[in-house]
Amino acid sequence: MSLYEIRDMAIQIDGKQLVEGVNISVEAGKCTAIIGASGSGKSLSCLTPFGLTPGEAAGSIKLDGIDLLKANAHQKLKARSYLAGFVFQQPLTALTPHLTIGAQLKEAAAQAGPSALSRRELAQKLERVGLSRADERLDQFPHRLSGGERQRVMIAAAIAHQPKLLVADEPTSALDASLRGEIMTLLDELREEQGLAMLLVSHDLASIENHADHLIVMEEGRVVESGATVDLIARPHEDYTKRLMAATPRLDEPAPDLPATGDVLVGTKDVTVTFPKPGWRRGQIEAVVDASLTVRKGEALAVVGGSGSGKSTLGRAIAGIGPLTSGVISWRGEHLPERRDRNLAMRALIQPVFQDPVASLDPQWKLRDIISEPLKNLRPDINRQTREEMVFKALCDVELGEEYLDRTPASLSGGQAQRVAIARAIIAGPELLVLDEATSALDPLVGSSILQLLAELQRNKEISLILITHDIASARRICHRIAVLDEGHIVEMGEMESVIGNPQAVATQKLVAAS
Amino acid sequence: MLALVARRLITAIPTLLAIILASFFLMRLAPGGPFDGERPLPPETQAALQTAYGLDKPLWEQAWLYISRLAQGDFGPSLVYRDFTVSELVAQGLPISLTLGGLAIALALLIGVSAGLFAAVQAGKAADKTIMMLATVATALPTFVTGPALALLFGLWLGLLPVSGTGEGWSWLIMPVVALALPVSGAIAKLTRAGLATVLKQDHIRTARARGLPETKILFKHGLRPALVPVASYLGPAAAGLLTGAVVVETVFGLPGLGRYFVQGALNRDYPLVLGVVTLYAALIILFNLFADLIYGWLDPRMRDG
Repeated sequence: MSLYEIRDMAIQIDGKQLVEGVNISVEAGKCTAIIGASGSGKSLSCLTPFGLTPGEAAGSIKLDGIDLLKANAHQKLKARSYLAGFVFQQPLTALTPHLTIGAQLKEAAAQAGPSALSRRELAQKLERVGLSRADERLDQFPHRLSGGERQRVMIAAAIAHQPKLLVADEPTSALDASLRGEIMTLLDELREEQGLAMLLVSHDLASIENHADHLIVMEEGRVVESGATVDLIARPHEDYTKRLMAATPRLDEPAPDLPATGDVLVGTKDVTVTFPKPGWRRGQIEAVVDASLTVRKGEALAVVGGSGSGKSTLGRAIAGIGPLTSGVISWRGEHLPERRDRNLAMRALIQPVFQDPVASLDPQWKLRDIISEPLKNLRPDINRQTREEMVFKALCDVELGEEYLDRTPASLSGGQAQRVAIARAIIAGPELLVLDEATSALDPLVGSSILQLLAELQRNKEISLILITHDIASARRICHRIAVLDEGHIVEMGEMESVIGNPQAVATQKLVAAS
Repeated sequence: MLALVARRLITAIPTLLAIILASFFLMRLAPGGPFDGERPLPPETQAALQTAYGLDKPLWEQAWLYISRLAQGDFGPSLVYRDFTVSELVAQGLPISLTLGGLAIALALLIGVSAGLFAAVQAGKAADKTIMMLATVATALPTFVTGPALALLFGLWLGLLPVSGTGEGWSWLIMPVVALALPVSGAIAKLTRAGLATVLKQDHIRTARARGLPETKILFKHGLRPALVPVASYLGPAAAGLLTGAVVVETVFGLPGLGRYFVQGALNRDYPLVLGVVTLYAALIILFNLFADLIYGWLDPRMRDG
């Protein structure tokens, strides 16, 4: 029998049935992964049996012989704290901000029973998950650590009491591509070393397929398909699984057919952006150093790098919505002044699209007002009637209908909201869009449909794109060329296919390996 | 942290100067003077008094003289309470005001935080709604209503506590402290409740829960500290107000605290007395805001790195 066995589980919240007929089993030393879009019930299915959601589960849920639904309070507590460990998605917020790493690790280890771990033993636990200067970190507060380091602390705490089951709810979604690989490898090692059973939740097939023995695909609260990972990837039966797999970009898929490009549209020469260091420390942080690049008419350039590499700062400088310390930005060979000195026509040429579509739209406004706002400001010559026609046309361009005009952002899904953000960006007739992680907050299926939309804009309107992302495989679907940033410097730049085929810089090799 | 304290203390000096100067000139704009009485003094006596206290000099010179004396720790003589210096008057009133204010803050924190905590645990239930309603009432009732009401009930009708003055022992403190603490405790209860409601939804609470900790431990060890950040930011100005601004309560209960001197000084145009009290108030407010900032850092270490 499996270590963890769920049979025919249903979950309700406030009388509403959100999950039903779910079967999950995880064996000791093996990994079962649940994948699905947000709202498919995958996290709910993993966390509810342990009382970590407001939901109520029914069915049969057995962990190491204990039926979690029939057990008394004492047994339940034992199952939760003694047998299972948990890793959550957001390393930024999942650790208590006012307790030191050491205090939290000690608390986690104490689940196995009262124990007096020495400082040395606590430090060893941090070393095991790949943290350097472990002793020093015991006294640090979580916010001093980077996202990847914090996730390692989360893992160390989750296994500190040597549980039999590790539940990892999207453990890598908040991390950039190269960190994802490292964290997944660490989890694999620990699983083998300690014979852990692992239940993994993810919306990203690509980042887990090499790490899970068994896959469960969920959609709208039901299991669509499940089976051994190898079989399921090779021969998916259900339509949803097939679509999910097609939507997951891979580096080994054939190179896309991209439209031809024209003359150089925008160029940067030695662009440098520095910020004063936070707090009272003296000195400057160099976010971008001497970045020179060009984008042709109709061309898409991927600006790729890990978090903190300066890619967004560079994009913002080009779009004129962020600071520029020194260097020149040119448009068709002519100098493009800084934002303050750009006239309306210049501003209309470059438009940004941001990562979080819902947060970047004013929740109080109707979509018709959101989409027409750039027109009112950038093209005061256009009269009301023409403006309304253009708003309608822009909605059609992003494949949304007239019925959306009077809706507000709150009623939109993430993908619809991003389409609205793109409609807002294209309405004033820009020649260049700067897309800052425009698909990373979206599920793979939705993200790939947005990429497809961008490809069509590129083809039909000859709009040039700067695609800022940490995901090379997605970028490859629409980008001609790639520039790789590492610590503010462009370390490699060239044709997409040749860079991926033969990456030179260490940062590029890492990113390619992680895809 | 030391750097924060040092920087705050240095910036406090120009702030204090600006407050002193503004008060100095505003007070002189008000009509009347310290020697106007119901029976006007003979003009020669007026003039002699003016010269004796330097009030005949140009305003700027007077201001300069005041500040340079202040820098040496001399608050000057009172113009109305003859034979007393302002320092002496403040030394009489300040201990009473500090005791009153300090005890009121402690009581308000005790009542407010426990009530807020209890309400947050009972969120949505009858106890939560009752506590929050009482907190609103407590915040809304002015001390000039609760003060006399308390005095009437416990002093006159039940005869348990002294109605006025600083009698023997500690019993005279109870009613003024309660009257002073009530509105503040209401606000603290609401802030604590709201802070906890936000914090208890956060991810790190789920992590603590996943560790199988008992709910009380989750609440006190993982939840309470970040939830008190809004309380701390309210408490800085509130504490300064409580320690200094107990004017109404001191008047109602007939206590010779600082607040009474302040009001009397203003009515009598006792310029040095008012300026002395204003300087003290301003210094206390600056000090308590600094305390609040230091408490932030303890409540949430992320703020130390600003």
